[in-house]
Amino acid sequence: MKTNTANNQTRSLFRKIQYLSVMLVFLCIGSVVASAQTTVRGSVTDENGSPLVGVSVSTDVNGKKTGTATDLDGNYSISVQGGATLTFSFIGYLDETVNPEGRTDINVSMKPDTKLLDESVVIGYGTVKKKDILGSVSTVREQALDDRTTGNVIESMRGLTSGMKITSSGQPGSNASIVIRGLGSLTNNSPLFIVDGNYGGSEVGLNVEDIESIQVLKDASSAAIYGSRAANGVVIITTKKGTKGGLKVKFDSNVELNWLPRYDLMDAETYKLYDDRAYAEAMLQGVEGVTGYQNHFEANTDWQDEMLSMGVLQNYNVSLSGGSDDIRYYTSLNRMVDDGALYGTGYDKYGFRVNTSGRKGIFEFGENFFYTRSSRDNMGSSSWSNFITMPPTIPVYDANNPGGYGYGSSDRANTYALNPVAQENINESVNDEEYMYGNIFGQINLFKDVFKAKLNLAYKSYYGITNKLRKKGNWTMGQGDDAASVSSSMAKHHDILIEHTYTFDKTFGKHDVDAMVGMSYNRFHEETRSATKLDPLTVGDKYITSINAATGTTSATGGYTESALISYLGRINYAYADKYLVQITARRDGTSKLPQGNKWGNFYSGSVGWRISSEDFFDVPAINDLKIRANYGVLGNTNIGVWDYQSTINTAPRAVLGASDKVYVGMTQSNLTNNDLVWESKTTANVGIDMTAFRSRFTVAAEWFLSKSEDLLVYLPILWTTGNEGGAPATNAGSLQNTGVELELGWNDRKGDFSYAVNLNLSHVRNKVLSLGYGQTVYYTGTSISEIGKPLGMWYLYEMDGIFQSKEEVVAHQNSEGKIIQPNALPGDIRYVDYDDDGQIASTDRHIVGSPWPWLEMGLGVNLAYKGFALNLSGYGRFGQTVFNGARATAGDFNTNQNNFNGLKPWTQENPSTTHPRIIYGDTRNSRNDQDRWLEDGSFFRFSDISLSYSLPSSLISKIGFEQIKVSVIGKNLVTFTKYSGLDPEFADGGIYTLGYDGCSFPNPRSVSFGLTFTF
Amino acid sequence: MKKIIIGVLCVALAIFSACSEDHLDIQNENTLSTGVFWQTEDDIEAGLIAVYSMFYRQGTWTRNIYPQMQGMADDGVSYAGWTELNEWTKFKYTNYNFDEVNGKMWREHFTTIYRANQVLAHIDKVEFADATHKEDLRAQTLWLRSFYYFYMTALWDNMPLILDVSSAADQPANSSPEAVFAQLETDLRTAIEALPETRDAENTARPTKGAAYALLAKVYMQWHKYAEAKTCLEWLIEGNGASIYDLMPDYGANFSNKNENNKESIYEIHFSLTHYVGFDQTDNYLDPNAQLGTQIEEVQSPKDIGWNNVEARRWLVDYYKRETTVTGEYDPRLYYTLWYDSVESDFPNRTHDIYGSGWKSEWGSRVWIKKYSTDVRPLYYWNDNNFRVLRLADMLLLYAEAENELNGPTDKAISALNKVRNRAGLADIQNSTYYKGATASKDAFREQIKIERGLELSLECVRWIDLKRWGFTTDELAKITARDPDFDNFVIGKHERMPLPQRECDNNPNLKQNENY
Repeated sequence: MKTNTANNQTRSLFRKIQYLSVMLVFLCIGSVVASAQTTVRGSVTDENGSPLVGVSVSTDVNGKKTGTATDLDGNYSISVQGGATLTFSFIGYLDETVNPEGRTDINVSMKPDTKLLDESVVIGYGTVKKKDILGSVSTVREQALDDRTTGNVIESMRGLTSGMKITSSGQPGSNASIVIRGLGSLTNNSPLFIVDGNYGGSEVGLNVEDIESIQVLKDASSAAIYGSRAANGVVIITTKKGTKGGLKVKFDSNVELNWLPRYDLMDAETYKLYDDRAYAEAMLQGVEGVTGYQNHFEANTDWQDEMLSMGVLQNYNVSLSGGSDDIRYYTSLNRMVDDGALYGTGYDKYGFRVNTSGRKGIFEFGENFFYTRSSRDNMGSSSWSNFITMPPTIPVYDANNPGGYGYGSSDRANTYALNPVAQENINESVNDEEYMYGNIFGQINLFKDVFKAKLNLAYKSYYGITNKLRKKGNWTMGQGDDAASVSSSMAKHHDILIEHTYTFDKTFGKHDVDAMVGMSYNRFHEETRSATKLDPLTVGDKYITSINAATGTTSATGGYTESALISYLGRINYAYADKYLVQITARRDGTSKLPQGNKWGNFYSGSVGWRISSEDFFDVPAINDLKIRANYGVLGNTNIGVWDYQSTINTAPRAVLGASDKVYVGMTQSNLTNNDLVWESKTTANVGIDMTAFRSRFTVAAEWFLSKSEDLLVYLPILWTTGNEGGAPATNAGSLQNTGVELELGWNDRKGDFSYAVNLNLSHVRNKVLSLGYGQTVYYTGTSISEIGKPLGMWYLYEMDGIFQSKEEVVAHQNSEGKIIQPNALPGDIRYVDYDDDGQIASTDRHIVGSPWPWLEMGLGVNLAYKGFALNLSGYGRFGQTVFNGARATAGDFNTNQNNFNGLKPWTQENPSTTHPRIIYGDTRNSRNDQDRWLEDGSFFRFSDISLSYSLPSSLISKIGFEQIKVSVIGKNLVTFTKYSGLDPEFADGGIYTLGYDGCSFPNPRSVSFGLTFTF
Repeated sequence: MKKIIIGVLCVALAIFSACSEDHLDIQNENTLSTGVFWQTEDDIEAGLIAVYSMFYRQGTWTRNIYPQMQGMADDGVSYAGWTELNEWTKFKYTNYNFDEVNGKMWREHFTTIYRANQVLAHIDKVEFADATHKEDLRAQTLWLRSFYYFYMTALWDNMPLILDVSSAADQPANSSPEAVFAQLETDLRTAIEALPETRDAENTARPTKGAAYALLAKVYMQWHKYAEAKTCLEWLIEGNGASIYDLMPDYGANFSNKNENNKESIYEIHFSLTHYVGFDQTDNYLDPNAQLGTQIEEVQSPKDIGWNNVEARRWLVDYYKRETTVTGEYDPRLYYTLWYDSVESDFPNRTHDIYGSGWKSEWGSRVWIKKYSTDVRPLYYWNDNNFRVLRLADMLLLYAEAENELNGPTDKAISALNKVRNRAGLADIQNSTYYKGATASKDAFREQIKIERGLELSLECVRWIDLKRWGFTTDELAKITARDPDFDNFVIGKHERMPLPQRECDNNPNLKQNENY
């Protein structure tokens, strides 16, 4: 904290001096009447006296800017109007402004700009200078976030730093997920979010415009101070504080038009053709009960047309900020309205923030307060699969059905597919949420800021209520006479954090010591209630949604959870002569989530760094700063349920035993538990190099890491033979290793009015299972396998080996003993690989056919600016992963009358295909889910954001009192390079057991938005 | 300044010490912990109720056992629009993890076993005021566990036999049907000793001595231990059971919710609509208001009326029509069992209500299952019709079969079979105008028993067990296939049992998949 304040003070002092000199210059200009021009010459050198080439030299002539640049010897010549000043600017150096005052020969020696290196970075309970960082920390600054219209903090970080995998579901108001440096844990891989010193994630609906910076602590040494909660990394978000000066008003507005990608599905006419073909095959095959074609419905419904439209997202933000030496403030008000592009979804959010901080003598104090309130119209259907499963022949509305919606019928469209329009209309679900989030802190600075004591109290409170109405009516074949119902469920929680920290910071000659100790207490409490009542009253067509007004059966549930965490923490940073850097962190955590005796865990980390560039022997002028660092640390994790170690009795079972239908209460243990859980630990070793070179234009950060997670706390599915119900118990199961390299490269430069910056980050993570739980050596989940020594979740499927073209080929498909492997196959069926050579296709023929892990993740940022124009491109890509296209599997070749994609060319006698089998209704031999036919290369690169903005010249708008007026247009997800045939290669998969599985996931919307920002 | 420092340190110290470990001891009081349970008679009783409550699950007796056992056997067929569901009744098992059938059934059967094992593990630690009551509770639990294992054997044959309380790391090995039968023999013998011969009207869902004999008889029959089976059956037919059980004069009374717990019924699974649930509920093990009904009617109702997951094979109609009653009418069992194209003209003097209509010509030659339907209109997800899982007619025919296997078609065997025929209004088998020479030899009589059982017990989840007992030889299979073309897919040595859920075999090194899967 000290460094930060001191830095700011120094900076503001400089700024004052600059302002003064500028003022003086203006005064001079004012006093001197326009005079004759003179030519000024000279040379420009760097701090060592070497000539600088290409330095821009500019001056004002009659209010117009003119300029030149230094030549190969560093010389320049320019004509200057009497009284005008000369400005020398060069990337990597501080600007120099000189008043010739009649001189014609001016030599300038420019000073390197060390701002970039002196920048302080928040690392948790303190800050360090960026150049002194010993861990792996990435920073995202306000400017980078500026042009992102997303309402979600996590999404706004996409592609901006290395080593992060961000996936979002695209639903209005939904949260995105973030994984830092591969999977380290098996329960929860979300990093810890710290907002202004308070625990809290992106779920609180943080306003992106309020953010000043985001730091991502990726390795153990950086994150160690957060101990048990930091095993997946830490994202530290700092909101704006206001700057010294008068009141500054900033207004941002943004209107985004968004739309969702669509499947290219068959229309009714094409569908009928193919569906009849599938029935013909079924009759040929002798599928029982199929004696003729379907008497198709006559409609031609495009279910995507019914459900998808152009969405409009509006985001408005006003902030007021300012401050003096003693006090600073920042307040903002935000409104976001998202009329989802999917029918029946939407999101509406208000938020306001008040941040103040001040200083009086030895006391420092401040608060950050944030309140947000949102309303979300929940999706009532699983639309993306319905689009495929619903035949286009079915009408949207059908008066013959209860509720009046169309759906399957055994003769006309024999399918249990769900009508998404009906689901959305019949089910109403609105989720209202309120967050109150903030902290207050007080600090005493003693002995000239050498010793500081800080008390921080943070509080997060949540209140959410979901009201649902289920009207009468059906959406699928075979649905009974369902009752209408109203329900209301509420959740309320609060999270209290009390922390005090004591810091000591002093420089003794060449020794720089910065130490901190602290203690933190965190308690979380949640209450939930839910009530459902059948048969709400109606007035005409209108349902009365008050629970009191319903007349049917009532059911209610309610409960609470509570947990606590006590931590003692400490850290010492030591630097000698700015060359040798050491950091040691220790933390002791006690949690209520583990059993007596296992509650406490000790975690520590140590880092060393060597700034080679500060050594006397180092003499590479091109390199401004060079540092090697290494660290090692252990972090703990208890990302499990609050009471997972306690066994409980289920009191819900009921039975009737006799004539009077009396209901008896049963009790039993349903959930098995492991009562001996211990801390999960993650050991990380990290070696990195940071370099800044070529006049600070070029930056490199390269990193190698190895992390090993042990005693992984995981809900490892257990055998059904145990009789366990209600989800697998938590267990300490096995260990996992991630190794990886990360590289961040940056180049920025300026040529006159044109400036540009290119940032590229690359990361490669390799994951390996070291051991599995319950003594298993291999673990299977549906379509994947996790084996010791291999990456987690490899695709484990039947392998397709072409299509039988003839009866002869069926007979020829034999194992080594001459047994015909698929005797019942017909021409047009898939030839599967008999992997175990036992002469039949059975479960033992599955084998590893691909990996869901990418070998490279890449982020790219390009910023170009010319005068008021700025063009920013940010892209993100993942390469090498094999993904499962669930949409194609869902289409399933008409086996239950699903729709399919245009361009389908199945095998037929007339047009034999070698890639696509024949289509058969009522037979899943060719469309089984567990085959590698549905796997695809999931590599992609996408320009997730492309923005173009124009800021009006300040000379123009300052006259009307404005500081900045900026208009921008932003395109999101408009350009994607991929071979993946699914809707969106950047889909949200189902988590650790279904990595890379695209089960008709909600795709990311594409959008174009228009923004207007002004500040005065 | 010093004061301030001292002040700060004091506050710090105070807060440090205030945060003691007590704050980390947080008990879950949302429900009872296992540590305070299993202490009293009431706890044991509640533990047993939790076993009974497993009847109301989709993977047990609420839903899936009916279409699966009927569909596999030759009396039922599935034309369900859900292709995978349909394939599973036709020996076309593609995905062994198919959750609706194999997942749910496996899982919920083992949950029942786990619940029963908890009661059995704790019962001896509890003091009971009345030892008889304690033994009754133990016997009920043993009976229920045996009952479930009997059906698990019918479905999978080689699943693990688990008799102790489970723990998360368990990896039980396969068992054989014989090992299971041996265990059931021991357990049911214990149950027979402790169970009362009759129950009062409030406790009819609890098994009686007769239910234990009947279940044990079925176990012995599957084990081909005919002499032991016969002894059990004798208790029911000639022994004490004779004064308790008798055939109902009206066959239909066995499948009506208006004649439950009648004298023909030896054990019935009790269903109720007391808990009204507005929607088709997926199994919610935590819902105290969960439904307590059966979906047998929904799964077997005609297409476009209910789910129609299963319907009857046409041969049943033809077989029923082979003989008429002594008064010249069609077999009343046909009327009570099926709806088919000529049902109205075949039974002109009876009422016909196929969910609000008569037979529709568009239904063609399909045959709907009427057995266990109720008169609730419109059809609801559940009904409250108790399922007569053990009834006297079954026992009489088993007796005839056991006796025939032991001594050939003796008078006793023939008389037991005739009792069942006579109740349906048919003449004694010796006088049948259609079946000639049925009592001429052991083999002939066995073939006759197969037909009689098929007609008397059709679509009651008995047929599949019978087919398994009689065995699938090539000849036998040809005959079955003629009635049910699904058996075209049947591979001898493989399809006598279903595959085990693949995930269970994959993740349990001690559990082998059934042969040839």
